[in-house]
Amino acid sequence: MRMDKGITKMATAVIIIVIVIVASAAAAYITFQPKPVTREIRIGLVASLTGVSADVGTDMKRASILAVDEINEKGGVYVKEYNAKLKIKLIEGDDRTNPQEGVTCVKKLILEDNVDVLVGGFSSAVTYASQVPAIENKVPFVITGASSSLVTRRTDKDTSYMFHYCTITDDYSTTIVKFFAETMKPKVAPNRNFKLAILYQDSPYGQGCYQSSVDYIKAKNLPMDIVASEKFKMGDMDFHTQLTKIAAAKPDAVYHAGFVADTAEAIKEGLVDIGLKTVYIAVECCEDPNYYGLMEKIGPVVDRQLLESKFGPFAGHYSNAVDAYKEVYTKRWGIAPGMMGADTYDAIYLVALAIENAGTLDKAKVRDAIEKIEMPQKLIMMQGGVVKFDKNHEIAPISFVEQIFYDSKTKKLVPYIIYPDSLKQKDFELPPDYKAGGS
Amino acid sequence: MAVMLEAATLLQVLTWGAILGCIYVLLASGLNLIFGVLKLVNFAHGEFIMIGGYASYWVSTLLGLNPYVSILASMAVVGLLGVAVERLCFRRVLGTSKLNEILLSLGLIFVLQNAAAMMWTEYPRGAHSPFALMAVQLGIMRIGVDWLVAAAVTAVIMSGFYMLLRGTKIGRAMRATSQNRSAAMLMGVNVERIHMFTFGLGTALAAAAGTLLVITTSITPYAGSVPALKAFAIIILGGLGSTAGAVVGGLLYGIVEGSAVFIFGGTWRDAVGFIILILVLIVRPTGLFGEKAVT
Repeated sequence: MRMDKGITKMATAVIIIVIVIVASAAAAYITFQPKPVTREIRIGLVASLTGVSADVGTDMKRASILAVDEINEKGGVYVKEYNAKLKIKLIEGDDRTNPQEGVTCVKKLILEDNVDVLVGGFSSAVTYASQVPAIENKVPFVITGASSSLVTRRTDKDTSYMFHYCTITDDYSTTIVKFFAETMKPKVAPNRNFKLAILYQDSPYGQGCYQSSVDYIKAKNLPMDIVASEKFKMGDMDFHTQLTKIAAAKPDAVYHAGFVADTAEAIKEGLVDIGLKTVYIAVECCEDPNYYGLMEKIGPVVDRQLLESKFGPFAGHYSNAVDAYKEVYTKRWGIAPGMMGADTYDAIYLVALAIENAGTLDKAKVRDAIEKIEMPQKLIMMQGGVVKFDKNHEIAPISFVEQIFYDSKTKKLVPYIIYPDSLKQKDFELPPDYKAGGS
Repeated sequence: MAVMLEAATLLQVLTWGAILGCIYVLLASGLNLIFGVLKLVNFAHGEFIMIGGYASYWVSTLLGLNPYVSILASMAVVGLLGVAVERLCFRRVLGTSKLNEILLSLGLIFVLQNAAAMMWTEYPRGAHSPFALMAVQLGIMRIGVDWLVAAAVTAVIMSGFYMLLRGTKIGRAMRATSQNRSAAMLMGVNVERIHMFTFGLGTALAAAAGTLLVITTSITPYAGSVPALKAFAIIILGGLGSTAGAVVGGLLYGIVEGSAVFIFGGTWRDAVGFIILILVLIVRPTGLFGEKAVT
């Protein structure tokens, strides 16, 4: 009997111990299980999906979707805080190429859609307004389409959450002015100053292009004179008066700082209506299939005009990444990719890497991670081959000049990189009926 | 030599202004006609310009026609659209309150713009004419052939419009209605039918302007907004209800605009026209040709 009681007590003790062990193991299992993955990374895309720049905005949207899908197909972005890979959700906002609409769209993305990061922004004037809610709410914003340096250098607001993944107007103008000084001047004005005319949009973007040209020429003491400078309003499509004044100044070249449609229109008016048979250089936002389409419609008269760029999907092989992107983009969307989309594509990857580096979706930490990022270049070539931000939150992209040749058989325009020498695919050629400014 | 060069440049600028003014004449005449007969301010007039441009673009692109030929199709299509809009929309509010008319036309702006954007996207479209790459040298001036054709087309259309107003029964009926609607009714004029026809004709004139725009520059769903404002400025400048005023006002507006861009820069393109308008309203509120019935 005593033995039976002893065995019963022991059995009870064993049972209790087993229960405790099993319960502890169960509790530990539940506690250390990864959090259920219900959280997505919400990236807000700010783009002109309607309005005068809808062609560019649509390119940005397509590129963003491509980047997000590629990342999500690989499982998403590993975020240490969640101990899991999180998928990205892209939320689109339409600024309608209008400052007020831009503010509304960004506010909605931040306050209603609760985005973690913003990407995009086209038109410096619009972005200058639309970035304000992001600044006030401390949401990191990687700006991919506004080229005025003001967006990360403004003095009235704290831009520590703003990052500029885009060539700025200083970069455009430096490349353009250097090209004219080093390559074109020896051909057309070997014994006198080169005469440059600038026709620019009256906005922070256009004014930036103009002022940075003036400043660079002065700083480097280049043998170049700006013989005419004329402004136009955003959306204007008639340049006869401005071009008439420019023609009277007899420039060697005209630098047009505008958007796709107005650039094509100005070149046509200049060459045909005004008879200003010179070289026109467009700015990189015209690296867009719509620009080529508009110019091809104008016809052979636009042969050998110039385009400053940093992404040349039509320029033949110069980068494996660009070739691959072009193939995937064209296959998916049935149209060639444009410049602003390429910037935005890279920016999505940059944000994904920054979030992974930060290990959290906390906006302040993500901001810090973006600031410190070092990412191998993707579509946009960088000095040193690495994407990183300087103290102004700007990158150091490499830009080049293309010359666009009209193929009379296919009636298509084909660009070739002509500057700098490190990327040159062809020598610069003067258009057949070109008239130098001195003549 | 410098003075001569400057004079040549100024003359070129004035000429461009006058040629652009021809498109403004068409813009303003249609709006003026609608106001003169229906006493209706149609803020959506610019959208009929835009639709006219698109109609010409698609007719010339799909059928391979010279876009100048497509102007007739564009005017017909938009004219019919105008008739439908008057019949289904404005007739219901005409005479109720000016606010109703204004709100209706403002609503039409958004409906038509967004419909156009959905159907045809936002990408700028331009119709390529056979004269696109041609220019003529007239003395010291060089002018693109498309612009000369635009001026000639305007002259032909406005001549036809004048003959319609002066020499036809329906023209007389329109003039009678604009002078005194009640008296016209008493004289047997079917005023509602005249309203429909007038609105259709006014929007057809807008379509003609849109065709010239799509040929000489390009068009987007939002391309009608600024021209519409200019049309209002022109009809006030020329005198509400005065066809001659719309013609003179349009040409003057184009010249003043070009001159302002030449002297003050491109930023002043739109502003200076309205500055002139304000001055005219202060000095001569009835406009250059005064407020009259359609004449």
